[in-house]
Amino acid sequence: MRIIGDLGSHCLTSEGLVEGPCKYSHPTIGEGGYGSFSFLYGPSAGGLLESVAFDILTYGESIEDVRALSYKTRHIKVGGLPLRDVLFKVERINVPFAASHTIAFLTAVENALGVSPPEEVVESRIAQLELERIRNNLLVIQRLAEAASFLVPTYRLLYYVEEVNRAISRSCGHRYFLGANYLGESRCQGLHLPRIDVEELRDLLSNRIFIDRLQGNGVVKEDWAIGPAARAAGFSYDARLEVPELKYRDHGFKIVTESKGDAFSRMLVRLEEIEVSLKILEGVEVKPRRFELPLREGRGIGRVESPSGDLAYMVQVEQGSIKELHLLPPSRINILLFLRSMPENIFTDFPFNWESFGIWISEAEVSIS
Amino acid sequence: MNWFLRGIRRGILTEKEFPQVQWPSELHRSKEGEVKCPTDALKEDRWDPNRCIFCRACEPILSPTGRSVQAQVKRSEPSFRRSFYLYPIDVGTCGGCNLEFRLIASPQHDMTRFGIFLTNTPRHADALVVMGVMTPKMEEVLRRAYDAMPEPKLVILLGVCAVSGGILGMPPDIRGDVVIPGCPPTPESILRALVEAKSGE
Repeated sequence: MRIIGDLGSHCLTSEGLVEGPCKYSHPTIGEGGYGSFSFLYGPSAGGLLESVAFDILTYGESIEDVRALSYKTRHIKVGGLPLRDVLFKVERINVPFAASHTIAFLTAVENALGVSPPEEVVESRIAQLELERIRNNLLVIQRLAEAASFLVPTYRLLYYVEEVNRAISRSCGHRYFLGANYLGESRCQGLHLPRIDVEELRDLLSNRIFIDRLQGNGVVKEDWAIGPAARAAGFSYDARLEVPELKYRDHGFKIVTESKGDAFSRMLVRLEEIEVSLKILEGVEVKPRRFELPLREGRGIGRVESPSGDLAYMVQVEQGSIKELHLLPPSRINILLFLRSMPENIFTDFPFNWESFGIWISEAEVSIS
Repeated sequence: MNWFLRGIRRGILTEKEFPQVQWPSELHRSKEGEVKCPTDALKEDRWDPNRCIFCRACEPILSPTGRSVQAQVKRSEPSFRRSFYLYPIDVGTCGGCNLEFRLIASPQHDMTRFGIFLTNTPRHADALVVMGVMTPKMEEVLRRAYDAMPEPKLVILLGVCAVSGGILGMPPDIRGDVVIPGCPPTPESILRALVEAKSGE
């Protein structure tokens, strides 16, 4: 059994919900000695894709401790709203992971209502999740190359991110899957695969200067890690093999792992997973399909493997409306891992370690009521 | 192979025409019937792109045309014709506008061919690009960024959240010289609006 994260007042594990919040080992809090000072980075600064601030305790070069400060917390009200209106809000919690959020939410609703979606819908959902993973993994590697001012690969990778967006738009109508999934419906029609030269991306690994920025940076060894951060540390954790609703085993899916747990291993995992996702997509057929959702009451959980790890929703449905909704976004766990892995590194390691986790503040700081 | 040589070998990837996108694009009424729009973007038969989140709840009564959503350029500044430096500020986004804004630098779009660049500080910015719904702690950050900019300056509201609040909240309390609707706006509509704002063309 592995810990996945807090979902409402419960702890979600690979075996299901257990009582109370998850039990994490307490981190050692860095205390500055003589000559140390606090350095504030953010909330709005060049180099950050979103607004977030960090309070960094330092002697000038080495980082003793880091705290993340919330700035862009959005309060989203969902209680008592019809399922349709909640779906529109769920899609917009973190648009770069919109397919993951929507599919986890719809799976939770379907489990609450005791419905299994037809095969075509399951296939379409797998295709969406893998296209989203490819785009996000490319973006994370692009951000790493940009942090190193490695400009030709930076723009080659941005080219591929745009190509994936166009493939998604041709398959599902919207570049970020908004409106592609609906209650009792999957709207994507046909699968357009982006043309990605994975061998070209592998050439990044032949640049010693770039690799040096990543190796030994931000080592994660925690057994409660999730997603690429866990797999980079040697843990074979992946919701794709643990969740029965999406039949990944039928597609010959295999987990990619590394062993060092540093930013370089996380990049390697993401790079290999692009190829794994492309292989899965070769065997998937995408067609629109509708199915019936009954008007029942119930409680259900939906979990998917988002590009940055486990993403889960727990819902309680009554009379076609949401009575209760809890979210476990992967970025919340990845921020904890980032903050723990930062002490003992130096300032120049900071952007590489931060980008290697693929964190989105939009989902980490959202407050749902 | 050396990255620089590979870059040259791939040739020019920058495009003059961009592929059509269905959602978001200009919507038109294709059938009669009632629409229950979650953001009141359809009132008295008039579709308001500044309120539309392109959720497809109005389909098939309204359908997409594939034409890029038109931005409203209320004020342009010809002194930015040669170089136009932008400072993006996220006051409460879902990440979508951030990513689409980043993609105007992709080789397909290449914003630099139009003399558009990003700056890391509002002190060097010609325009402030505001994205997202207003969140309480970002109010002061937004005001300070605006005050730090030299004159003349433009404010660009990017995405439906910054324009009208969308479905998730309230828009920032700042007057936009350029309004770019969309959820999120495509790189094409962002780029068209920026080019018009810098030169009036």
